[in-house]
Amino acid sequence: MLFAIIGLILGIVLGLYLPITYPATYSLYISVAILAAMDSVFGALRASIEDKFNTEIFVSGFFGNAILAGILAYIGDRLGVPLYYAAIFAFGARLFQNFAILRRHLLTKIRSQHK
Amino acid sequence: MKYLHQKVIVTLMFLILGFTMVLQFKNEVEDYSFVSIRTMADLQSAVDREKEEITNLKERINTNENKLQEYQQALQDEGSIKEVLRNELEAMKLVSGFVDVEGSGIILRLSDSDRELYEGENPNNLIIHDGDVLTILNDLRIAGAEVLSINGQRLLSTSEIKCAGPTITINNHTYGQPFVIKAIGDPETLSAAVRAPGTYASSLKEIYGLNIESYVSERVRVARFQDHMTLQYVTTLRKGE
Repeated sequence: MLFAIIGLILGIVLGLYLPITYPATYSLYISVAILAAMDSVFGALRASIEDKFNTEIFVSGFFGNAILAGILAYIGDRLGVPLYYAAIFAFGARLFQNFAILRRHLLTKIRSQHK
Repeated sequence: MKYLHQKVIVTLMFLILGFTMVLQFKNEVEDYSFVSIRTMADLQSAVDREKEEITNLKERINTNENKLQEYQQALQDEGSIKEVLRNELEAMKLVSGFVDVEGSGIILRLSDSDRELYEGENPNNLIIHDGDVLTILNDLRIAGAEVLSINGQRLLSTSEIKCAGPTITINNHTYGQPFVIKAIGDPETLSAAVRAPGTYASSLKEIYGLNIESYVSERVRVARFQDHMTLQYVTTLRKGE
């Protein structure tokens, strides 16, 4: 957990100070990819609380989902169909689901500590 | 050792996530929305229209500047712009129909049919109506008629063509048939507009048997608008208001 936060802060600092930009056209694909990555992160959090965390699954899911979502958004753009909605629905729904399970785990943990 | 390995990987992943998110935030300053190809085409055509408008306005600026130069030239040469204004007045009169004019064109004579009615046929089929006259006039205008008159009444932008029983009222004057339409323009195009098979005038002639004759003439004379035009409701709108 601590390492995750450290990594996040490091990434934010790097992103703020490195002069890297990309064309605004790709903005949509990157946002969908970020959504997919966040879904993976929440999944990993849930898995780590359930003691089922597996690095390979996390890494492959992180990159695989992000790339797939980006490509899907791109293809949708080419076809004129907003296919990125599919990614938003799928990952968004799973994100909330994972968060709900996470919340329940944390609440039961807190309750058991109080008793 | 394996534990450390895992931590490094997790750190790296979060580093990537934070990095891309911040990049996106930095990039997301401008509003991005899904733009379909059609909206892009619409916007493109809107831009083209605006550009055309700009060219038109520039052209107008040019013509107005030329006019101004003309006035200034006249002022310099003769001390007054009377002559220029008089020329302009003449040109305006010519355009608006207050001058007798002459030119090549056609003369069209419309009158009711002489044939017998078929059994049960509507007698309206044999009569020239105000609508027929209007359609033929419009055909002539499409063919590029510059000046039009009916039975000596100059056709202006305010001229009405009204059905008044067996007669037609034009510019508040009522005429019975035959109706003589004079049109100045390219004689060939004008006569084609009333003679060519399929045109309204030729259909009237061929199908309903109305008497429609047209003559091409090198010298068609059209009288000016005889009455006075009084405008009651119109006021001029000053430019820039």
